[in-house]
Amino acid sequence: MWIYEKKLQYPVRIKNPNARLAHIIVSQLGGPDGELGASMRYLNQRYAMPYRDVAGMLTDVGTEELAHLEIVAAILHQLTANLSEEEIAKSPFAAYFTDHTTGVYPAGADGTPFNARAFAVKGDVITDLSEDLAAEQKARTTYENLIRLSDDPDVTEPLRYLRAREIVHFQRFGDALTRTQERLDSRNFYAFNPVYDKIQPRE
Amino acid sequence: MDMMNKNAANGARLLDELQKVDFCLVETNLYLDAYPSCAEALAFYRTLKEKRQQLAKQYEATVGPLTATASENAVSWDWIKTPWPWELVANMG
Repeated sequence: MWIYEKKLQYPVRIKNPNARLAHIIVSQLGGPDGELGASMRYLNQRYAMPYRDVAGMLTDVGTEELAHLEIVAAILHQLTANLSEEEIAKSPFAAYFTDHTTGVYPAGADGTPFNARAFAVKGDVITDLSEDLAAEQKARTTYENLIRLSDDPDVTEPLRYLRAREIVHFQRFGDALTRTQERLDSRNFYAFNPVYDKIQPRE
Repeated sequence: MDMMNKNAANGARLLDELQKVDFCLVETNLYLDAYPSCAEALAFYRTLKEKRQQLAKQYEATVGPLTATASENAVSWDWIKTPWPWELVANMG
């Protein structure tokens, strides 16, 4: 279960509306490397984890990703508050506006609605943790691209925070993978699925 | 500074402090998931948690409930009275 806390994990204070930035930042909500996919990836991978510490990591990082989803949504909400119709009409955001007005809808920068194919659950601790490491790097790259394209320091600041979190999550998933590999059979020189041949007992 | 502005300024300061201590708690939590026997991290987490409890109490007395169960007013449901976190005003104090 979850309990909602009425505050953002990191403040969002955007004073100037900006249709161009809203048009691209939506990708970190519902795009291929966005926060919705991130939270669903980790929270759904938990159940097949043979180790409680790794399941704990996925629970806690997955929960933090929900907080990041809310930060990106707050950025979008504030970027589109008080936008003039002229500004919308002349920006690429007009396409999104046509379907969603200024509601917050998870889609990619190219307008593709969120697709569960953005994340994977393989039910294998090595496979899933390897996926998670790549996912964190893909999200970091996306934030870096957004920071390159941002011309508003109010927007860049929370993006820099979110980028830094991807780096920390990568480190923590690296720890989880190392701890998993340490528990594999010592004759297993190659990192592969420890649950395929026999179910490992819980520690 | 009138009373309402003073309250808003206090609220903004408390939110900032709460976000900082909660950030440290999340960081330490993730670290402990990987290194559950680290005595230093365990002690740090405990210190942070105590500070957090005090700050949350002050914040809720000044601004409003952080969770629905913290809505304690007997005659009014305070949970829905304060701005939601995505509103600019909730972040400006």
